[in-house]
Amino acid sequence: MRYKQILLSVALACSFFAVGVLGQSYAITNAKIVTVSGATIEKGTIIVRDGLIFAVGANVLAPADAIVIDGSGTTVYPGFIDALTNYGLPAAPARPTVPGGGAAAAAAAAAAAQAQQPTSNSNYPAGLRPEDTVETDLRAGDAQFEAARSAGFTTALTVGRSGIFNGQSAVINLAGDSVSGMLVRSPVAQHFSFVTLGFGTYPTSLLGTFSAFRQMMLDAKRLQELQKAYLADPRSMRRPDTDRSLEALFPVLDRRMPLVINANRENEIVRALDLFKEFDIKGVIAGGQEAWKFASRLKAQNVPVLLSLNFPKRTTAASPDADPETLATLRFRAETPKGPGKLAAAGVKFAFQSGGAASMNEVLANAASSIDNGLSRDAALRAMTLDAAELLGISDRSGSIEAGKIADLVVVKGDLFGRDRFVSHVFVDGKLFEMKQPSAPQGTPIGRGNGSGTGVAATPSASNLSGTYTITIDIPGQPLPATLTLVQSGGGLTGTLVSALGTTQIRDGNVSGTTFSFSGDVQFGGASLSISVRGSVTGNQISGTVDSPQGAVPFSGTKNP
Amino acid sequence: MKKTITYLLLCLLAISNVASIAVGQSTTVTLIKNATVMTAAKGTLENTDILIQNGKIARIGKNIAAPSGATVIDATGKFVIPGIIDCHSHAMLDAINEGSFSVTSMVRTRDVIDPTDIAIYRAVAAGVTAANLLHGSANSIGGQNTTVKFKWGHPAEDFPIADAPPGIKFAMGENVKRSNFPAAAGQSPRYPRTRMGVIETMRDAFIRARDYKQAWDDFRAKKTKVQPRRDLELEPLVEVLEGKRLVHAHGYRSDEHLNLLLLADEFGFKVATLQHGLEAYKIAPEIAKRGTGVSIFTDSWGYKLEAYDATPYNAYILWKNGVVVSINSDSDERIRRLNLDAAKVMKYGGVPDEEALKMITLNAAKQLGIDKRTGSIEVGKDADLAIWNGHPFSPYSRAEMTMIEGEIVFDRAKDGQRRVDMARERETLEKLDMNRAPGTGGGPPRVPTDRIRGERDDAEYGEGGNR
Repeated sequence: MRYKQILLSVALACSFFAVGVLGQSYAITNAKIVTVSGATIEKGTIIVRDGLIFAVGANVLAPADAIVIDGSGTTVYPGFIDALTNYGLPAAPARPTVPGGGAAAAAAAAAAAQAQQPTSNSNYPAGLRPEDTVETDLRAGDAQFEAARSAGFTTALTVGRSGIFNGQSAVINLAGDSVSGMLVRSPVAQHFSFVTLGFGTYPTSLLGTFSAFRQMMLDAKRLQELQKAYLADPRSMRRPDTDRSLEALFPVLDRRMPLVINANRENEIVRALDLFKEFDIKGVIAGGQEAWKFASRLKAQNVPVLLSLNFPKRTTAASPDADPETLATLRFRAETPKGPGKLAAAGVKFAFQSGGAASMNEVLANAASSIDNGLSRDAALRAMTLDAAELLGISDRSGSIEAGKIADLVVVKGDLFGRDRFVSHVFVDGKLFEMKQPSAPQGTPIGRGNGSGTGVAATPSASNLSGTYTITIDIPGQPLPATLTLVQSGGGLTGTLVSALGTTQIRDGNVSGTTFSFSGDVQFGGASLSISVRGSVTGNQISGTVDSPQGAVPFSGTKNP
Repeated sequence: MKKTITYLLLCLLAISNVASIAVGQSTTVTLIKNATVMTAAKGTLENTDILIQNGKIARIGKNIAAPSGATVIDATGKFVIPGIIDCHSHAMLDAINEGSFSVTSMVRTRDVIDPTDIAIYRAVAAGVTAANLLHGSANSIGGQNTTVKFKWGHPAEDFPIADAPPGIKFAMGENVKRSNFPAAAGQSPRYPRTRMGVIETMRDAFIRARDYKQAWDDFRAKKTKVQPRRDLELEPLVEVLEGKRLVHAHGYRSDEHLNLLLLADEFGFKVATLQHGLEAYKIAPEIAKRGTGVSIFTDSWGYKLEAYDATPYNAYILWKNGVVVSINSDSDERIRRLNLDAAKVMKYGGVPDEEALKMITLNAAKQLGIDKRTGSIEVGKDADLAIWNGHPFSPYSRAEMTMIEGEIVFDRAKDGQRRVDMARERETLEKLDMNRAPGTGGGPPRVPTDRIRGERDDAEYGEGGNR
């Protein structure tokens, strides 16, 4: 042991000069170190140097040049990984509203929307372009980075959420100062949602979503074969076309790249598993709130889950007049927290993702809730660290506290899964972020289960979206003026949407930062349609989309003074 | 010696039977005792027993001794009929129309079935055991249908009848030419806009399918080098041309039905069913000559212009002309009362009761190509049965038990207890944190959303409607 220490000291001395060039070194001393990959060190030191974990152990000495962080009473974990987000990606642009109504205005709006579409020479409409990559759209300095970091998250998989093909994701770190420095691995996977393209553009129904996917996979396979044949003997045949969209599916066909399908509910999960089987795809389920129901099938097909920690909860206020909720809804909420434990017991691989939860505190509270409901602490932690790193293909460089790995670390006071948790320091890619102890009563309780807790002060409070907005829902041919009243409380959202179609009460409302989502029912043509609304507020501008069984339409408007 | 060999052979047969039990089939032995059995094939049998083994009807007769371990159901005073089959339904479907194009033969209702749809339970509670899940009627050539058994409680993969021939939805008339659906401003109206355009669209599709088939035939005969592109739109149409896929064609007017029959003659395929066929009575001999079936509403019409020239004698006239007629619901609500729709054809024209029963059982099975396994109570067929507490054509009767392949999927006696259990479960669940409402002041009552699935096809009965 002593021999090792001497060696280490020599090594440290030798690299002394490098330090000055390559940046500040740090030593976290006297901390409990949960390495995840190996045994937990009850009292030890971690040295961070040049963006990497330089050394870790019970008997490691802090080098002279290092800034020492006294870790007494703290626990150090590998930085947490959020296995699916849309961090760093701009919201889809809203369609401009053309004043007036009628055909001309709608046509103008449609033309303007067309003009706003990202330019592409693809043969496929937006939403069916698997060649889209996060790398192109990623931006540094997203406000969400800080919120995530404050809860100990250092790394995230990110991809857009629009379209049937969401495009190719990337793993980024949440240091967030430059795109160049943020990318950890890219591309990671192709992402897919069971949605439609909306008005007029095939597919306009879930039926068509399947057939469009099938045809593209078949066409990609054929193109790949033709290109191979052509390369082998260019004089033997007519040169096959190039097609960036289809070519982007080659890695999926070859099982070099996984296809992640967003599927939370029972039917979606079964449909995703069926597609994986049909095309022999290296499949991954994202969301997976009801994945536990198919644990044995997931295991048999070797399909891992990027499991959402955004557990369903009731957000609508009680009304004596309201119809009772369906038993299925009540069961869904009650069963979801038991899901992670069941998946673990069945041997299904999974990593946790925030799943669009209102706050990262809610995410950690729900991780704790999975532990209360049968998941081991160890498995919960792994789902946020090493298991996530393995699923995202970065376990060679991240996910555990080992010498040589990226210095993504989180220093926690109190119980990580308890109410007294406080994240004091976070290292992202070797860069230190220090969190201020809350000035409010120490260890503000973390909301558990209901997610409406106030959270630790380290998380910046989200902006308040409450207010009345005058909006136009851009239904082609008949723009629909409406008044949207939002009442935000914490991450919850209530209110009304009033239009010529009547008053819609906001249900299942959620706010995350400046984005919000809710669902509701609209009376239309003598029947009730379920709508689902997503949007964001920037200054006094509001925009987003209204999705219904009839398709998705954009809306935009302004906040009333 | 001979006897011994026969005995051994029987044993072997019995063993192989046991070995070949399909997944999902009930392995229990059930004996229904002393029922009035309406077979829909060989008349009505009084005081008759039905023995069910391995999901199949093993014996029908009087005083059958219960094998050891058999579940015995005393059906004294009760009626047993074959499970009802609905030849036109959109139950279980999360999407019904892919309306972007007028030819969407590439889409498959199988992709979007929802085995948890409560409509299934409501249907089995009315003695329905199988249905033809059709694409909607927005397109000249719509999507591929799925023939299912309503195996409530089973996963999605158990619902489709594996050996049912595949099919496809065609449609003609107002829905297809979008008469009642003006194009959104700023968008061009979808072609076709007239009845002549509809038949042209179909003809064009079949010409393309014929060329496509030729391209593959040439490739397989090594006349061409490069394998043709697989086209999921044309593949099912080639199957239609080859007689491997059933055509279920929505329409109202007899001129259009005739047009389609002539188009089918031209391309050499058979139309399996005309759906709705409100004017089918006008061309009954032409339909009968081609062996095409008709699937109708008994007495529902007038809900749009092309649905005026109708008569409740439609079923009778078609039956008299030798057409295989079935009565369908096209509605999650009407599916629960198909027995009464069958009863009505006895009133209008005096169709005999067995023939009326066939119109909701065996005839639908024939139209769907599943009559070898279901649709009537005969030895060797699947034990798809419903036990009624009275004559099924009486409005005072109700289904008490429904079984599919010997498995009880509905039992009215147990239904009551389940309701009590579920009320208790609800009480417990509502007390949980995640199910408690955050405050008071929520919205007014709302229409339950569990049955709202967007576009319905053609049922205009208040719910859904022809949107």
